Amino acid sequence: MLTSNFLPGMSSRYLTDSVVPSAVGLIITESGARRNATTVTFFSEVAHHPATLWVSIASDSFTLELIRESRQFSLMVLHDGQRALALDCGASSGRTRDKCAGLKLRRGPEGFLFLSDSLTAIACRVLSDHGLGDHTLFIAAILAGEYDTKTTMRRHLLTTDLS
Amino acid sequence: MLRYARNIWETKIQCVCSVISARDGDDVELFLCANFAQASFDPPRVIVNPNVLYPIERAIRRERQFAINVFQASWREAALRMVRVRRRTPGKRDVLGLPIAEHERLRIPYIPGSQRIVFCELEQTLDTGDHTVMIARVLDSIDDPAQKGKTALLYPEISGAPSRYPRVSKAVRTFMTFTGTKELVKRALGRGGVVSKPDISAETYELGGQTAREIDQILNYGVIDRGRAIKPPARAPAVLRRKVGVCVVGVGQWGSFHAQLFRRADPNVVLFVCGRDPDRLARVARSVGASDCIIGLERALEDPRVEALSLVLPHHLHAHAVHQAVDSGKHVMVEKPIANTLADADSMIEAARRKGVVLMVAEDMHFRPAVRESVHAIARGNIGEPLYFKAHAGGKLRPRGWKANSGMMGGGVWMDLGVHYIRALRIIMGEPDRVFATRAMQIDTKMSGEDSAQVIFSSSQGWQAHLLLNWAGPRGNTPDILVSGDRGVLQLWPSARFLDWIPDEPLPLVRFIGEIRPRWLGEKLMKPQYQRVRIPITDRDTQGYLTEVREFLASVAEGRAPTSDPIDARRDLEIVLCGYEALRQESWVDIPPYQTALSRG
Repeated sequence: MLTSNFLPGMSSRYLTDSVVPSAVGLIITESGARRNATTVTFFSEVAHHPATLWVSIASDSFTLELIRESRQFSLMVLHDGQRALALDCGASSGRTRDKCAGLKLRRGPEGFLFLSDSLTAIACRVLSDHGLGDHTLFIAAILAGEYDTKTTMRRHLLTTDLS
Repeated sequence: MLRYARNIWETKIQCVCSVISARDGDDVELFLCANFAQASFDPPRVIVNPNVLYPIERAIRRERQFAINVFQASWREAALRMVRVRRRTPGKRDVLGLPIAEHERLRIPYIPGSQRIVFCELEQTLDTGDHTVMIARVLDSIDDPAQKGKTALLYPEISGAPSRYPRVSKAVRTFMTFTGTKELVKRALGRGGVVSKPDISAETYELGGQTAREIDQILNYGVIDRGRAIKPPARAPAVLRRKVGVCVVGVGQWGSFHAQLFRRADPNVVLFVCGRDPDRLARVARSVGASDCIIGLERALEDPRVEALSLVLPHHLHAHAVHQAVDSGKHVMVEKPIANTLADADSMIEAARRKGVVLMVAEDMHFRPAVRESVHAIARGNIGEPLYFKAHAGGKLRPRGWKANSGMMGGGVWMDLGVHYIRALRIIMGEPDRVFATRAMQIDTKMSGEDSAQVIFSSSQGWQAHLLLNWAGPRGNTPDILVSGDRGVLQLWPSARFLDWIPDEPLPLVRFIGEIRPRWLGEKLMKPQYQRVRIPITDRDTQGYLTEVREFLASVAEGRAPTSDPIDARRDLEIVLCGYEALRQESWVDIPPYQTALSRG
């Protein structure tokens, strides 16, 4: 995830201090009238049964606040054509502007907000959270997932594409 | 067109490919993984999620250290080789031919030349279903400067059905996707359109090929891949460098055989025989060239020339005789089974530990070369994943005296032969979890124990075993052990200097005959032995008896523990007793988990 003090053109710790290359995703959270979209790189699979994934969110972020309230989020796995979107959503905090406003969103299964044109969109419900110092680890059930057949041949957007 | 992700792989959260490497005893465990990522900065942590049944999970839990070797895109072929290797295949580095190095300071194995290598120490595990979330602190990392700026290998590059022409297939897939042809074809085949929302967990398992029962087993929290807890000894024991005085106690048929084995084992053995009947004792002593005859165990215990005893006595006397020997400071080899009860076995092991003497149970199966070769054949992948173990042993026998008395024997044929084949089962397949037993009508009415038993074992690892032990009738000319996997079968013959491997893949001669037309001619020419590979056993001691005796002598002379641990003999007995319980209840009985570390103290 790109921190709130990240500005376009500047290096983020998520890029400079990243110990492993990984996929880039976008998390969209909603709690009442408040919503946010933020770029994440700290996520992966947890288990097949039950189908679960984990995401690790910076402990001081707006996204963490919203996930704690709503206990749910949607995760979009981004493709290599979505670099600008990833940089934009990781560049500033959702506390100061509505980052969702500029996104092409739609309501997916279970009413979750999904980004159109991503590699995949996944609806998640938080099962547990665990403190990891500067981050909080969420383990979430995968409620549903969708993909657009047009994007199936695209490759993942990687952290190495952002630097 | 929008489609539901039907399984976890269609969510595409698997991305960069790496191989997780961890030490696993003397071996290195390797596991291809596309599920890892960083989880925090201060301190830097990463998370991996191995399946609870995979050996890598056990290896990381035990060693608490591992490395993530990030693969570059050019290593696709190596990754595909890893995908094809069975998860439980031991010695993966040899099978895959991957170079393995070791971090100088941390001693963690890694694959040199990987794009990035991250060395980690396990901090925390979370039980989360069929996979374990392992949170680890990053200790160090190595970058290959030659790989800078190059793309890592991505999971979609290695997933899906293998293709002979991957670039052409990819181009066709891309064309069909972008032009919409793929959707049209799917619709025409009735597979198009968004259907009802799938159950991702269930469909993931369906695609993975697991049955409902396997899912239950996988979801059984705490299940770990105990795999093969014991290994056959790697090498033959050394030649004795000093004289060892050994007294064989009990000079019945089997006692005489023991005396012969000690005579043949090493010229440095000073052999004594001990019994109650002076005439028989003198006869046996003459036939084996014993240095002296000793009448009565008590006198053997007092004799300073005797350093070690081989107790070949009725089962119910084992515990008392071992205690007497151990109290006199003598090393002991006792015939199998270790005792008739677990309480006796525990007290014997504890007494030997307290006195610091060697206690070994004479279990020849532990040293049988064919069993060892089977383990190697499985490790080579000859039969794929071992699924079934079948033992058929015994033969027509009418035991009399104490062997016909279930109180002295601790049972019947299942007690007497069961321990042998349980040891073979444990070495070849692993630790069983449940047992069911049944038996046919009794033929030998002068025997109070059972004269036949068939026992079925199951393991949470997915394999099953069937042991048919029988003194009621002849056994016929059949292999006594058969191990069946998804790619072949191994046949172990008693006393043979070979074992047979019947691969699933037709051998060249079979393929050639299969092409012969007319078909009836090919069928006439075909012989079953054409589809058989005979694996030679160079060891002349085909049953392992001599090696067993030599191992005991070497452990006495060198003052070390024998490779056949009495704890394992106790475990064999524990499984036999569970079998008797299943026979009594006529239902499945759970076998207590094998607690290696706890038991061995």
